[in-house]
Amino acid sequence: MADKEVTKTQEMIYELRVREVMTRKVIAVASATPMGELRGILRDNRISGTPVVDDGNLVGIVSIEDFINWMSDGRPGCPVADRMTRQVRTIYDDEPLVQAVNKLERSGFGRLPVLERETCRLVGVITKGDIIGGLLKHLEVDYLNAERRGARSSHIFEDIIADRSLLRLEYQVRGADFSRAGSSASGLKTSLGRLGIDPQITRRVAIAAYEAEMNLVVFTEGGRIRAEVEPGLIRLVVEDSGPGIPDVEQAMEPGFSTAPDWVRELGFGAGMGLPNIQKCSDRMRLDSTVGKGTRLEVEVLMEHRDDAERLSEGTGA
Amino acid sequence: MTLNDLVKELGLEVRAGGSALETEVRGGYASDLLSDVIAHGQPGDLWVTLQRHQNIVAVASLKRLAGIVLVNGREPEADTLQKAGAEGVPLLVSALPTFELVGRLCGLGLSGIRT
Amino acid sequence: MKLDEISKVLEAQWLSDRTGCHDRIGAEVLSCHASDLMSDVLTSSGEGSLLLTGLTNAQVIRVAEVADFVAVCFVRGKKPQPETLQLAGERGIPVLVTPLSMYDACGRLYVKGLPGGHGAKEIPSWRTRK
Repeated sequence: MADKEVTKTQEMIYELRVREVMTRKVIAVASATPMGELRGILRDNRISGTPVVDDGNLVGIVSIEDFINWMSDGRPGCPVADRMTRQVRTIYDDEPLVQAVNKLERSGFGRLPVLERETCRLVGVITKGDIIGGLLKHLEVDYLNAERRGARSSHIFEDIIADRSLLRLEYQVRGADFSRAGSSASGLKTSLGRLGIDPQITRRVAIAAYEAEMNLVVFTEGGRIRAEVEPGLIRLVVEDSGPGIPDVEQAMEPGFSTAPDWVRELGFGAGMGLPNIQKCSDRMRLDSTVGKGTRLEVEVLMEHRDDAERLSEGTGA
Repeated sequence: MTLNDLVKELGLEVRAGGSALETEVRGGYASDLLSDVIAHGQPGDLWVTLQRHQNIVAVASLKRLAGIVLVNGREPEADTLQKAGAEGVPLLVSALPTFELVGRLCGLGLSGIRT
Repeated sequence: MKLDEISKVLEAQWLSDRTGCHDRIGAEVLSCHASDLMSDVLTSSGEGSLLLTGLTNAQVIRVAEVADFVAVCFVRGKKPQPETLQLAGERGIPVLVTPLSMYDACGRLYVKGLPGGHGAKEIPSWRTRK
């Protein structure tokens, strides 16, 4: 494999989740099933083991090895329940693939039953084969995307002349939603990272986006963050429909805050948000009308030549 | 060690409570969460924090702390200054960030509290 | 100082699954930032830095990620909320917890020679063009 593909695969092992590659159709047996029937099940489905499920609950796992041991014990008439392993190694469907790889290696088993985290229902099974197959499939998909981006990067040179936006990312932010707060900034950072943009630039944009997002969450009923990646710069436009800032100059003063006291115990309300945004940006513009809303526009400049190079590097063009 | 000793050794600036600088400092506590300080602060502690709002004075009084030092060169809010003056709570400022200031305080022999 | 050594100095417990952040365990930690105020944390770059904090909500992880901190260590034995740990796992941010107070933790690391991050006054010049 070429170097780039190897790193891509390694990345994917951490990014892909078990649920994205697992086999959802689970062959399972009930614990009361006679061991004699197991052979047919394993052979017909070409599997080396199967979870044992009673009423939707995972109660054990039985493998070909168990079957062979049963045979060498003289095939006693007994149910699967007697020969199965009750301590089952499992994995949750939202865990990254690297966990599945580790668990499979450590346990020496060929498969792991996959549980849904909240309900602990059995939702699938994952084997090494699934992992490899899944990685290959995603690599393919990524190549397709890279091709599309390659097409885009050739547009850079056209866009320099046409002055059109290269890439636009948009995020909706809900007011007062603290559990999701910061997720847009985080997502934006990941996307910019994937585009191969300089990490320092990405960090500045992400910090500005984060502070803006927190302001939306703390002070408004919600708004929208738009990131525009253009040749030479990244622009953030953050808009909401209220309540508006009465005195923008005052709001820009470090330490000035209208955040309620309880927000401080959450680690915010120090009045550093807008000043931080200004520090991270090369150009900043804040317009607001009380009762109507606020619009924040921030620009972070990129070295023109560097970013065009980096974008084409990132696509393998 | 008194507040005065620390002011001299670390170049701290005094913003309020200057008359109480002979207070003996018994330990140090670093936190920006009021709930933490209220729960674990001990009398005679020097409180290292970024928080500039007036509630810090109330907490310092409540817990009988030796004083408050604001870090990163942050200046107290006007309300805070006023309250500190009125209640005789020493309010100091350091240009250093928390990590370095605490490091130096430890170096001077001021120990922390184990909770 | 390597993250592993720091965890020993702070008598810290690893809260995150080490396989999820394997690339960070041996990482060199260049500085330390101690704060419970997230906006303050964002005034300087966290690149190569350890975040020491008593704040346990999930925003700590968002901030650590956005500012490129190497790892987060909670002080005073504070166990973070489940969403915090979950988010840290998803985003690959190592999380530790030390029984020491913020004050003692800073003291111990400082005496070992770990420098502080930039204070708000000494702003790293992000705008330096090459």
